[in-house]
Amino acid sequence: MSFMSQALNIQKGFCRHMISLRTFGNCRLMSHRLRGVMSAVAYLVLASFCSAASAVSEIDFEQDIFPILENNCTYCHGEDEQESGLRLDGRAYMLRGGDSGLAAVVPGKPGKSYMIDVINHVDEDMAMPPDDDQLPANEIELISHWIAEGAIWPGQMDAVINEEVDHWSFQDITRPEVPEVNETDSSNPIDAFLLRRLAKESLQYSAAADPRSLIRRITIVLTGLAPTASETDQFVANFAENPDRAYSILVDRLLESPHFGERWAQHWLDVIRWAETNGSESNAYRKNAWIYRDYVIRAFNQDKSYDEFLFEQLAGDTVGQGDATGYLVSGPHVPIATVGRVPSARRQARADRMDEILQTVGATTLGVTIGCARCHNHKFDPISIQDYYAMSAVFQDIEFGGRPPELDADHPRRRRGDELYEEIRELRSTLWKTGPWEENWIGYKDYLFPPVQAKAIRLSFTTGFVRIDELEAFGPENWNENFALADRGTIVTCSDELTNPATPLVKINDGGFGNDAWMARKKPDSKALPWVQFDFPQLQKLNRLRISTNREDYWETDYLEKLNKLMWGPFKLEVQGADGNWKQVFVPYQNERANKKHPERAEILQKIDSLIAQFNDEGPQSSFIGRFIDPVDTFVFGRGSPENPREEVFASALSRLDGDLGVAPDASGPDRRVAFAHWVTSPQNPLTARVAVNRLWHHLFGRGIVATTSDFGAAGAQPTHPELLDWLASEFLNPTVQLGSDDARPWSVKHMIKLIVTTDAFKQSSLPRQKAIAIDGDAALLWRFPPKRVEAEVIRDAILQASGTLSDSVGGRSYRIHNVKKRYAQWEVTDNYGADTWRRMIYQERMRRVDDQMFTAFDFPDCGQVRAKRPVSTTPLQALNLMNSDFVIDQADRIAERAQSESGDGIAAAVDRSFELILTRRPTDDERSACIELAKQSGMSSVCRALINTNEFAFLP
Amino acid sequence: MTNPERLSPQGRSLLDRRGFLGTAGLSTAGIALAGMLDADGLLASESNTQFNGKTPIRPDIDPNNPYAPRGTHFDMPAKQVLVIYCPGAVSHVDTFDYKPDLYKLDGQKPPGLPEVTFEGPTGNIAKPFWNFKPRGETGKMVSDLLPHLAEQVDDFAFFHALTTDTSAHPQGENFMNTGFTMEGFPSFGAWVTYALGTENQELPSFVAINDPRGMARSGKNNFGNGFLPAAFQGTDFTARNPPNNLDRPGTLSKRDDRGTVDLLQRLNAKHLQQYPGDANLAGRIASYELAGRMQTSVPDVMDLAGETAATLEAYGVEGGSELRGHYARNCILARRLLEKGVRVVQLFNGSDPSGGNGITNWDSHSNIHKTHAMQAEIMDQPTAALIADLKQRGMLENTLVVWATEFGRMPFLQANGSGRDHNPDAFTCFMTGAGVKSGVSYGESDEFGFKATVDKTTVYDFNATLLHLMGLDHQRLTFYHNGLERRLTNVHGHVVKDVLA
Repeated sequence: MSFMSQALNIQKGFCRHMISLRTFGNCRLMSHRLRGVMSAVAYLVLASFCSAASAVSEIDFEQDIFPILENNCTYCHGEDEQESGLRLDGRAYMLRGGDSGLAAVVPGKPGKSYMIDVINHVDEDMAMPPDDDQLPANEIELISHWIAEGAIWPGQMDAVINEEVDHWSFQDITRPEVPEVNETDSSNPIDAFLLRRLAKESLQYSAAADPRSLIRRITIVLTGLAPTASETDQFVANFAENPDRAYSILVDRLLESPHFGERWAQHWLDVIRWAETNGSESNAYRKNAWIYRDYVIRAFNQDKSYDEFLFEQLAGDTVGQGDATGYLVSGPHVPIATVGRVPSARRQARADRMDEILQTVGATTLGVTIGCARCHNHKFDPISIQDYYAMSAVFQDIEFGGRPPELDADHPRRRRGDELYEEIRELRSTLWKTGPWEENWIGYKDYLFPPVQAKAIRLSFTTGFVRIDELEAFGPENWNENFALADRGTIVTCSDELTNPATPLVKINDGGFGNDAWMARKKPDSKALPWVQFDFPQLQKLNRLRISTNREDYWETDYLEKLNKLMWGPFKLEVQGADGNWKQVFVPYQNERANKKHPERAEILQKIDSLIAQFNDEGPQSSFIGRFIDPVDTFVFGRGSPENPREEVFASALSRLDGDLGVAPDASGPDRRVAFAHWVTSPQNPLTARVAVNRLWHHLFGRGIVATTSDFGAAGAQPTHPELLDWLASEFLNPTVQLGSDDARPWSVKHMIKLIVTTDAFKQSSLPRQKAIAIDGDAALLWRFPPKRVEAEVIRDAILQASGTLSDSVGGRSYRIHNVKKRYAQWEVTDNYGADTWRRMIYQERMRRVDDQMFTAFDFPDCGQVRAKRPVSTTPLQALNLMNSDFVIDQADRIAERAQSESGDGIAAAVDRSFELILTRRPTDDERSACIELAKQSGMSSVCRALINTNEFAFLP
Repeated sequence: MTNPERLSPQGRSLLDRRGFLGTAGLSTAGIALAGMLDADGLLASESNTQFNGKTPIRPDIDPNNPYAPRGTHFDMPAKQVLVIYCPGAVSHVDTFDYKPDLYKLDGQKPPGLPEVTFEGPTGNIAKPFWNFKPRGETGKMVSDLLPHLAEQVDDFAFFHALTTDTSAHPQGENFMNTGFTMEGFPSFGAWVTYALGTENQELPSFVAINDPRGMARSGKNNFGNGFLPAAFQGTDFTARNPPNNLDRPGTLSKRDDRGTVDLLQRLNAKHLQQYPGDANLAGRIASYELAGRMQTSVPDVMDLAGETAATLEAYGVEGGSELRGHYARNCILARRLLEKGVRVVQLFNGSDPSGGNGITNWDSHSNIHKTHAMQAEIMDQPTAALIADLKQRGMLENTLVVWATEFGRMPFLQANGSGRDHNPDAFTCFMTGAGVKSGVSYGESDEFGFKATVDKTTVYDFNATLLHLMGLDHQRLTFYHNGLERRLTNVHGHVVKDVLA
């Protein structure tokens, strides 16, 4: 944006935002509609004084250049028409360029002027003038020359373009007055806004919902679980005494439930299309990615301030919340291994991965479709292509991959890891005196021995095949300092004749992990076996080796056949001491041999093994939450292609929202992300709070005040209640309403939710009223609580809950429903209903684009694209799944069994109990007799199968 | 009207329509529309928004009857479409794109060809592994690899200058089938059923018949609904395997099942009384009735017992490899589905490539002379028989048939190898049937078949042409998703008029 910033008179601060509008005149998706939405103004301001033509030029603009423009360009790029948003009838327009976002003219630099590329037909798809021959060479030369001389246009040298944004969502948030309304005794300001709007249509709220519907609604909306029958009865009784008090207590209980976070995490994960596989070629599992899911659940349960929640997801590595950065790599990606060998394809793949990051950030925090500015300026919103790439500079240190999360000392996972490691250390301390041993850490092995002084070490293998991606040597001090690294001057030699030239020895100590490994193989006609020797530059004190075959796989993926196969056999380890003599410290089958001498060792080693297994589950392991790389320089990619780098850009946020982050061009990756996170969470940012409260509203009422919850731009929907939205955003930033004994904190999600669900609007009936339907069919104005089909998760969880099999444990590894697959094969559902799956569905492993053969039909997302809102379909496949699947048949049996065992004797009692378990109410007489009839004929399971399929079960009342 | 401020401008014209319906007292229609409005926050249907000077047309979908037949944008003969998809990339230079220069240059490495392609270093030019001969009245040159299809080239319209944006299979499959290399976008079949609904309410509107060996590399993304409602996803089943959960579980008797359904209907009817006229609830009740009908209509259509011996023989059910037998049955199933009015049938010939060894699909990085022969044996006769059968039954009058793959293969071998690497810059697909000109070849690749040169055709153009043939304007068929009116063709694509009849 460098030239624009100079040319445009942009006021700092959020009070007045500017946009180039007329430049967007001809974008493909655009339209006259914008002119209705935005009354943005763009006009050329000619300076009142003409700058003296001080530069003596051999080119005369009027005589040499103007006629070329007039004859060839301005018919389509002038005042009347602006093809591609470009005008060439004013110097300032030229400097700004068109939709491409590239400056048509950069004074003094014809090489950087897009116009020169275009008239030279550098790219056949963007060659001007169109459908004509190229301009004569001398005219191209003249223009080029004119630009080289500074593009002197007499009278326009000080011209600037004044542009203004008045799209509502980019304006400051100010707290509107709460309207006075008479027809309510609600003290909740939200009701006042809603009722005023309804009154305009001569509508009012519906009657209050009955308490049974109300508890079912609020319990599902807040926790994703249905209430139990006894909770329902209790509430109905309390409600009869004091409705407000009963409801308030209920809401508080639900907000404190550990299941609250599970429900709200599910919504967040949808938006960022989080999944546990990569997508693309092998759709590989992302190891331990679920620790991010647990972070989100924890954050909602703890009511982490929303600004902190965003900050940690953008830069949690800087504050001991490294697991939060799983957010940045939530989208799908194509791993480099499957992109192919063509360098341009590899560059494109990196640009695509970066785009996924920006889409996530844009859609969640700001509610803008930043991806639209990847190839050209955004068609609708004040986001330039420079903004897009400057924002990508913020995230240049992120790559899709895994790392051990940075965790605070009091982080539960860190604490658990420390505990387990301490146990391992204690066990080890008992082992040292009994000689060396090895530990299998699944993806690598550690070989431990009493400290020795080593000039060199040599490993002689007893088997014919060796594949090692890295061998590390450590000492008792500086526990993780690897002395084997080539960079430290360590020299490696090996049995050269056995080494495959494609997999040379240098791979063994180059610090790189994965496919690039040293591989050696015994020759069939010789007895020689592989060996490798490390010569250290000076004497080193060592007590440990660590060896792996493919540690990248171990860190990054899981559930593949042949994963973590350690491909080297038992070896003899010799150490050369200061005196030059070799001494053996490790023999083949070391554990087995030493255990014979010290039988007590076997048990200790076994304990260590099981602690390692626990550590792998509960400790801070490498997890797919992003990998850090060194940021490279960032350039604008002309037309979105990495093969067409244009000007360099530096980390910043949206320029029209005061996006200067104040970081140096060479700032570290974390510094850039921290600065960006501060910008996003600044109370002055007009988008963040609005987008957040709207999303809460959407999940509570089924539709947002802005229906397009991740697009607050001009192409998105207008708010149904703009003042209410701003009031909510203000309340989120500066809470004023006291709901409990404590004052609410700024950015408290629970405060906002409680405020909204205690409105009369939320508590009203969902029954239809014909007159109101005719006016506002989808109840966007909330004349009733809008009923809708519940999500896939709610259906599954409620069925498990009814049978009493639902585990209430929170967090942890996802339950599996798929096979362990070959690297390049599809995931297949193996068991989606057995006892191991009886957890809440948020813990079901989330595989991109894989049909779970049950709930995909219920609009469960494929996690390919940002899903701000789930569609609600009704299809016969849903009916078939819910009637005939193993899951439903099995669960119907279990519910029936439970109903019978809990109800004592008699079919009638069992029917009553199954109604309570599934629909949290007792049947009417009619219903009871119909059910008894079927139970007699086909058993209680059939009754339960029918109840699971009812509309009452599937709809939020 | 009521509350225009909540609407984006493109919804306003519909709002007027809704007002009309409301005042006209058409309450049911009013409710249906209201539900429709809820579908994605923005109002559907026609609007005053302009796209390249064109107004988007979002189909009027009643979410409770999403499969109701809907009109095309303009009249075209095609009412339904069969897509035969060959994952793995079929070698154009060994099948339909005849390049005599390859014989002259066999074993040489002429300048101008790349040093590195998708899998690595390149080797020398290799002449076609099968001989080419002129076929039919048009004399179109086709190799002996596909003798049965070769007999029908007089009816086909070939695209010889196709190019794609990627050299990787999953992205290539995505691009061909969903218009985007990335995942999560609606498939062609989803777009068509979203636009047109279906004629037969007792069968799924869009059926994906996977290869007997399993799903293609991109899996469900090739026939998924992306961000469209789940109603528009392809339902996958084959001649061997019915859709998931179609049948009543074996543990239940027919009487149990009927009793359960009857009870369900009673409970739902009673519940509906509390919500009189609620279209969402009524729609869900209807979906159970439809599911019940599918339980008989799907097994009926899968049952090939009534097919004549002549048909079975023509399709090659017996007498070839076991895989050909299964694929042939799938081809017969495809015809039967189309006969019943299923809107879109997507038939796969090939599954997931296993290390590019050409066994599970067309991906032939080594021993192409063997592996392509193996794939052709499976694909050629049944596919040719299917097209001939459709023609003989008069079904090509209103059925569009498309044969496609994700990219081509290189005219040269891989270094020290016996296979051809991926070629994104030139490949061949063909169409035939309703609305398609017969016996034409559109576009040309260069003398090697390495790059498209004349009338270069992008995947966007190809898909734009397909939609056009279905009576749909690819620039106007849109769905609002996350800030954009999404299209199958993104912001690209030109209809190739030269292949239109």
